[in-house]
Amino acid sequence: MFELYANALVNGILLGGVFALLAFGMNLIFGVVKIIHLAYGQCVMLGMYLVYTLVVQLKIPIILACLISLPVMGIVGVVLQWLVINPLLKAKANPLTQLLALAGLTIVVENLAQVTWGADLRGLNIQLPLISVGDIYLRTSNLIAFLGALITLGGLYLFLNRTYLGLAIRSIAQDVDSARLMGINPEKIYYITMAVGGLLTGLIAAFFSPIYAVHPHFGGSFTMMAFIIVVLGGIGNLLGGFIGAFVIGIVTSVSAVLTSTEIADIITLVIFIAVILVRPQGLLGIRISR
Amino acid sequence: MRSGLILIVIFAAVIAFPHLLPSPYLIHIGTLIFIWSFITTSWSYMGRFGLVSLGHGAFLGVGAYTSGLLFNAFGLSPWIGMLLGGLAAVILAIIIGYGCFRFGVIGDYFALLTLALGEVVALTIIAFRDITGGSLGFTLKSKGTSFWYFQSEEKIHFYYASLAFLILALLIWKWIDRSKMQKALRAIGEDEIAASTLGVPIIRYKMVITMISAFMTAVGAVLYAQYITYLNPHTLSGVAPSLEIAFKAILGGMFSLWGPTIGTALTVSLEEYFRVVYGGTFVGFSQIIYGLALVLLIIFLPKGIYGSLEAFFKRTKDH
Repeated sequence: MFELYANALVNGILLGGVFALLAFGMNLIFGVVKIIHLAYGQCVMLGMYLVYTLVVQLKIPIILACLISLPVMGIVGVVLQWLVINPLLKAKANPLTQLLALAGLTIVVENLAQVTWGADLRGLNIQLPLISVGDIYLRTSNLIAFLGALITLGGLYLFLNRTYLGLAIRSIAQDVDSARLMGINPEKIYYITMAVGGLLTGLIAAFFSPIYAVHPHFGGSFTMMAFIIVVLGGIGNLLGGFIGAFVIGIVTSVSAVLTSTEIADIITLVIFIAVILVRPQGLLGIRISR
Repeated sequence: MRSGLILIVIFAAVIAFPHLLPSPYLIHIGTLIFIWSFITTSWSYMGRFGLVSLGHGAFLGVGAYTSGLLFNAFGLSPWIGMLLGGLAAVILAIIIGYGCFRFGVIGDYFALLTLALGEVVALTIIAFRDITGGSLGFTLKSKGTSFWYFQSEEKIHFYYASLAFLILALLIWKWIDRSKMQKALRAIGEDEIAASTLGVPIIRYKMVITMISAFMTAVGAVLYAQYITYLNPHTLSGVAPSLEIAFKAILGGMFSLWGPTIGTALTVSLEEYFRVVYGGTFVGFSQIIYGLALVLLIIFLPKGIYGSLEAFFKRTKDH
């Protein structure tokens, strides 16, 4: 019995690493572009379909396929900024309108996927060996995703803190007007942020591809999951999101063992509702005026 | 005066239609349009005042399952089940509404919170699969054609019943529009702090409109369940139907009386057109067009199709 919980805990931590990366992208976009990217999970889904097409249909080696998915999804991010988000910002749409427009976009993306790839599950069908540490079993694909996510997050931390571009992005997140006075072009930074966010969806897709089989409604639950984590940690708070990801990863994984996957999801959603009601600034957050 | 005449002509056409063109398929489509228009109109009671809920699937699920389960287990008449389902939805609306309005959750946060609520109800239905049939749903026991059990083998009965329900929803819209509540809610929707300084009891008005909307949505769900005689958590709760309700109303125009009905009629017809012309696999195309239209409308014509036309004609009439 104990092994079962230990397994769930360890898997929850591994899951948390990938969730952290997922939430980071959404958080960064919210922090900088000030938009809730409700189609984020759907972008991950597109990336997974891309990897699937390259590997299974075009017989390209998986590593290469994953590398291709990064820049392609980065471009998808830029296109989204150009066609959807920029017009919304130009129209001075209120946050609710922005949210609805992006929710409308999820319908387009999901059905595009359904028309192109059909409604069936599409998986890579590769079996990586299990690693056992005592009584605890780890899936290699999960471990790779976890380590990859941590390395990426470390790299992003350095990027945001040590490079000129990273500082520019952070300054836009803090105060657009002051940043503009310092000679930073916000519009350019928005494009760069969406490109980085897009690259991340490609990377997450690469990590997810060996773990999950993808289907047209795959993205919705991950958008929700990312958003729950972001809210839990405080919107725009990158550290909070990092911790929140592990909290949610462990909660879902352990409660799924204790009860059922549906109850586990209900628990996460109830936590989310409670946080929005009682502590909308997030568990760690500082209240920012909007 | 002229618009009144047009209304009477359309109404007469809708009444006479099943007799002039007795096609079961077209009657079916008409019924679906009426039922979903009833639900989207009920949604717009709240939506038009800025309370954009993306979780009305929660009320659909609670309403339909309360009535359906009681009917199958105890043979309770759906007419009573409808009231009980509505009541259950109202209780849920009170809990979540009071929480939201007490803590000042508005706008995009309200939308996201209700989105989660719809999913919670869907997952609850799936989790209690011993009672609800889980993801597979369950079928209502057949009683043939019976008014008391609100079942009929004749499609035309449901056509007129759902039309009557839709008219009721539109009349309630009118009633709200003329009431004091409308003025208060509009003030709240425009500027909540200003309204509260003027002594408008914000929480009370928001609660009342949310309760009405939840009750009506649940009633609509029972209507749908009785017509289809099959309940499924994916069509009656969760994210997809919740978004669909909101989007149909927004597409037509959530601020006007006929907007949600027009939006529903357009989307349902579009979907059916693609299903008939291109077959089941390309149903996705209608959804893509619908999604694109939605994104464009939300960005460029936030009043929706009917709302924008209405505003356009009003402007030309003034000149």
